[in-house]
Amino acid sequence: MDNINAELWLMVVTLFASVFTNNILLTTFLGMCSFVSVSREVKTAAGLGAAVVFVMTLTTVLNWLAYYYILVPLHLEFFRFILFIIIIAAFVQFVEMVIDRYSPKLYMALGIFLPLITVNCAILGAALFMVIRQYSFIVTIGYGFGAGLGWMMAILAMAGIRQRLTEARVPRGLRGPGITLIIAGMMALAFVGFTGVLK
Amino acid sequence: MSPQPVKPAGAIIMDGLWYDNPIFRQILGICSTLAVTNVILNTAVMCISLTLVTALSCWTVSILRDWTPRNIRMMVQTLIMAFYVIIVDILLKAYWPEMSRNLGPYVGLIITNCILMGRCEAFAISNPPGPSFLDGFFNGLGYSSILLAIAATREMTGMGTFLGWPVPFFSGPYWDKWVIMVMPPGAFFTLACMIWLCRSIWTKEKVPAQTGGK
Amino acid sequence: MRDKPWYPVVYMFVITVLLSALLIGFSRYTRDKIEVNVQMAFERAVVGAFIDVKPVANQQVHQMFTQQFKLDEKSKSYIYSKDGQVQGYAVPFAGQGFWDNIRGILGIAADKRTVSGITFYEQTETPGLGARIDENDFKKQFPGVKIKPTAKPIGIRPAAQQLSDNEVHAVTGATQTSVRLEKLINDSLVRWLESQGVKEPSS
Repeated sequence: MDNINAELWLMVVTLFASVFTNNILLTTFLGMCSFVSVSREVKTAAGLGAAVVFVMTLTTVLNWLAYYYILVPLHLEFFRFILFIIIIAAFVQFVEMVIDRYSPKLYMALGIFLPLITVNCAILGAALFMVIRQYSFIVTIGYGFGAGLGWMMAILAMAGIRQRLTEARVPRGLRGPGITLIIAGMMALAFVGFTGVLK
Repeated sequence: MSPQPVKPAGAIIMDGLWYDNPIFRQILGICSTLAVTNVILNTAVMCISLTLVTALSCWTVSILRDWTPRNIRMMVQTLIMAFYVIIVDILLKAYWPEMSRNLGPYVGLIITNCILMGRCEAFAISNPPGPSFLDGFFNGLGYSSILLAIAATREMTGMGTFLGWPVPFFSGPYWDKWVIMVMPPGAFFTLACMIWLCRSIWTKEKVPAQTGGK
Repeated sequence: MRDKPWYPVVYMFVITVLLSALLIGFSRYTRDKIEVNVQMAFERAVVGAFIDVKPVANQQVHQMFTQQFKLDEKSKSYIYSKDGQVQGYAVPFAGQGFWDNIRGILGIAADKRTVSGITFYEQTETPGLGARIDENDFKKQFPGVKIKPTAKPIGIRPAAQQLSDNEVHAVTGATQTSVRLEKLINDSLVRWLESQGVKEPSS
């Protein structure tokens, strides 16, 4: 019983850590491509963010199962890169088909973002971090969800700021990606301030 | 896609290094490498791996281009890229374990680096192996040069060293080390400044405006 | 042939099998080496907590490790003995650092009261800041530090503060790494001291 409590506590800590102190986007730069290109509007950013949370949580869990129940017993750990990518791609395809069939409304909202996610390095990155850090199954659930949530938070904040920037006078060479990166830097700076919170 | 005349090698090299530089022009593929740019040595190893993987993947994709069915080409490309990345990963683990530990998951993340897929799709799929290899190699090199510049800036201002060796002025008492440069925010700021600098030079060169990125 | 519906499937299958076969062959060839690397990193850390292993070859370190170090299951530490005499104890510690896991070994002398050295075999703290815990300037402070059998056996204090004999100076600017490292070491140390029955001296 004590063991399970400790695990659950660890899961909660990992969840918060991956949202605030170890934000996958602001500290490890994963998922930058879509972060820079899809953060122009809050609405689209929210859609992509939600899709990332959903896919990230479930694929890290699936990848955990595949890694520890298929690859490790077979001593094929080095195959994880391929297996993880296949699982992520297959999962995204599957989800796309399911929501297209049963919920056209949700498909309109999320559907266009799903293919983008397959190439989002944050998803694969989360799976690789989970292996390297040797998370247990329960902690992995918290980690996958937290990492997705952290990514969503960052892109939402960025989109909110960028919407207000449209009227601002930005130096020519900095327009677009340049200013986005500067803002991201400031956000990362703010997030560094969270580091003392978790011990 | 109609068959197009093969670009001369010089044009391929210049495009990869400057005019079509993957980072400024296209803001592609920064994700998997930016995280290790606080130390020059790590960045260098990462860049060499990425350049080799890109060049070899492009070469392989190009060799197989006449036999690969169009509808499954993405899968085949991913498989080929993963193949080379795994080889690099195993080599590092076996012969340079400290480096492998430093780079952590980032070697594996080369697979999702957009440059790879981008070059395979844009060039290798419709060009012969030789030029494809060159294209992949110099795009990788163009990418590496920027990242190494970022890494050099970050390591010098943040730690006062270059490849681990103290740099005269920066390691001295008159330079208050910019700790933030070795932390993640430093990477964002440095990259933004590099993009600013290069885009300003471009506008002066009057390169025809073109929309970059996806 | 290329228009046949089965062609893509067969093609994909052939490519996959071919590449996988190459990879499996290649990894067979290097697997032993990789395993040795992982094991050696650990053994060097254990032996390195007592003597300077930098100039010593892997082979010798391995020999020392197998002959002079014995795992004590109960206290989860290694007992270092030479010619039948206990020379010290190697206590492993591990846990979350600032960015990622830190794993290392704390060497303790035979009197169970003095630290003989500290080594790390896994850490990815911020280069130039937290990562400097693995540099000599930080590590050389440990030999000779006294262990207090309390809830906080040793301390890592900010630089420029006065130290008592169970404390060392932290790396400047690496507050988070230091706080966490202190906790990791002390957690393991408290458990180890308990298993050894070391108590607060009555004097």
